[in-house]
Amino acid sequence: MSEQSNGANKPEFWRWQENVWADESRDWRAAKAITVGIDVGSVSSQCVIVADGELYAYNSMRTGNNSPDSAKNAFKGVTEKTGLTLNDVHMVVGTGYGRVNVPFSHKAITEIACHARGANYMGGNGVRTILDMGGQDCKAIHCDEKGKVTNFLMNDKCAAGTGRGMEVISDLMQIPIAELGPRSFDVDVEPEAVSSVCVVFAKSEALGLLKAGYTKNKVIAAYCQAMAERVVSLLERIGVEEGFFITGGIAKNPGVVKRIEKLLGIQAMNTKIDSQIAGALGAALFANTLVTKQGALAPIAF
Amino acid sequence: MSDKLFDQFKTWYEKRHDYARDWKARTGGQVVATMCTYSPEELLIAADMLPVRVLGAHEPQNVSEPHIFGMFCPFCRDSLAQGLLNRFDYAEGVTLTQSCIQYRQTFGSWRLHVPTVKWDYYCPMPNELQSQRARKAHTAEIQRFREFLEQLTGKPLSDEKLNDAIATVNENRRLLREIYEYRKEANPKVTGLEAIYAALTAQFIDKKEHNAELKKVLAALPARKMAREEGIRLMTIGSENDDCSFMAMVETVGATIVIDDQCSGTRYFWNESKPSGDPIKEIAERYCDRPACPTKDYPTHTRFDHVLNLAKEYKAQAAVFLQQKFCDPHEGDYPDLKRHLEAAGIPTLFLEFDITNPIGPFRIRIEAFLETMREDDLF
Repeated sequence: MSEQSNGANKPEFWRWQENVWADESRDWRAAKAITVGIDVGSVSSQCVIVADGELYAYNSMRTGNNSPDSAKNAFKGVTEKTGLTLNDVHMVVGTGYGRVNVPFSHKAITEIACHARGANYMGGNGVRTILDMGGQDCKAIHCDEKGKVTNFLMNDKCAAGTGRGMEVISDLMQIPIAELGPRSFDVDVEPEAVSSVCVVFAKSEALGLLKAGYTKNKVIAAYCQAMAERVVSLLERIGVEEGFFITGGIAKNPGVVKRIEKLLGIQAMNTKIDSQIAGALGAALFANTLVTKQGALAPIAF
Repeated sequence: MSDKLFDQFKTWYEKRHDYARDWKARTGGQVVATMCTYSPEELLIAADMLPVRVLGAHEPQNVSEPHIFGMFCPFCRDSLAQGLLNRFDYAEGVTLTQSCIQYRQTFGSWRLHVPTVKWDYYCPMPNELQSQRARKAHTAEIQRFREFLEQLTGKPLSDEKLNDAIATVNENRRLLREIYEYRKEANPKVTGLEAIYAALTAQFIDKKEHNAELKKVLAALPARKMAREEGIRLMTIGSENDDCSFMAMVETVGATIVIDDQCSGTRYFWNESKPSGDPIKEIAERYCDRPACPTKDYPTHTRFDHVLNLAKEYKAQAAVFLQQKFCDPHEGDYPDLKRHLEAAGIPTLFLEFDITNPIGPFRIRIEAFLETMREDDLF
């Protein structure tokens, strides 16, 4: 759980771990092409640096109240870690719901295309079905062996059953968000799913279950099951092909992932890379391909 | 476009209630709120009335739910709301020709609960139009509607008046098709947004004025230069669509909407009535023969090939289903029509429309769909 707290010193159980990473076995100065992908999502923002077509560094942080600032801050986090500057970058691609508000990007590409490309890198060219479980939406994507999208479906207007819903449950249960998944398995009997994944209704229902004598773990299990059922219904509409890969923040929650796998009867593919950076990684990889084919572009200062 | 060629249509669309009030003041005629494009406008025009198709406002509303269910299609709920909010207080009459049950109940609620309604007329129409008896039955219903209007106005609705109205409405249909012809070209001289403004306004502007404006535009179109990128050529499919902000968004992200199969577009004006010497029969048969709404397209699905032919003729590279939520007739057709188009190499996207539509999330879907058809440079 984060040390951060609000004015009343109330712990923020929902706050997930922000993360800056760089591949210290390599030196970006030796790379011929350095490209950047910026994914400004509704809840989290990522900056990924790709050096010569391989993941080199990333920063994953919470999206603030301003998309351009979130993009800049995500980039600054990596520059502080690696020492590279915008002048060292050959192309920047923006993605995510704030993709058109990345002040230093040369091109915007949808997160649907970028997640597919990122998943293709993380899981290899056998990836065919991608489930992106993001902060406020959820996407089921089919792609080919190159990571090009062939079909996709998104959830409806409401954010039910997405990352933000899990944050709300975390706060309500007063359990750090990273512990929700493991604790959801620590139950005597697997409960029925809560009947609604609507953030508002699920909150009321969770309180009702606590009153009715459910343990916190059992309530969490019921919510994880509801979330899994919801995304599986989305996946079933598009069809799940072998080579199933999950991206986005919820991919880190085994309580949801294992239940999805059980419902589908398919194991999700494994990766050692942080699933939350898939969109930004895809954007940076697209930038790398564009640099290879069309040449570098001058940086756009911010 | 900066040449403002279609601006009159846009202004009419945005100020349609002002137009109807002004028309009434200057002509002294009655205004009739019409529901469904199967309404025989020719009869109303011949009776010196202005048919004004009821469209929604795409604003949140909380007035329709006491009257019709929340699971009625958003277009019906939005349309009824406009009546209940007195936006059509200038319309003496309201009329519906039978199509779907949700529209029927919307009409019923309007008739009962919109206080400014002075008269109403429900025109039955066979849904099984492929029956041998359908044309005869509908001709009889059109005659009955004629008699109702004669009784209402106290004036005979002569064949001469009917023939004049048929000629005016046919001219309007012909001119709209001429406008649509320009959409077949590469980088068309008419955008989807402009076309929808022209087609929608035909449904509530005095036809003679509308025809004059169409002729003006048609005279200027040959010399028109388009400075925009064409992008991917799209077709839209569905029931009603007057969400102009959605159309505008689609055409700013690398696409041009080149044709539609919607009752707000081609299905409204596609065919003319054929001369037979009997104006009532001409009117009735024209509505029986028009491109079918799914409510009237069985046992044979005639619209599947019609839609595919339109897509081919207008060189649409892909199609977007604009599905009004809870519109069962269109949703029932969707799986087979999707397969029909995709088997012919036309990829499709499904979007569910509500009274208000989230432009941002729709933009992601449209852009991602377009990316599946281009961006080969990225791989």
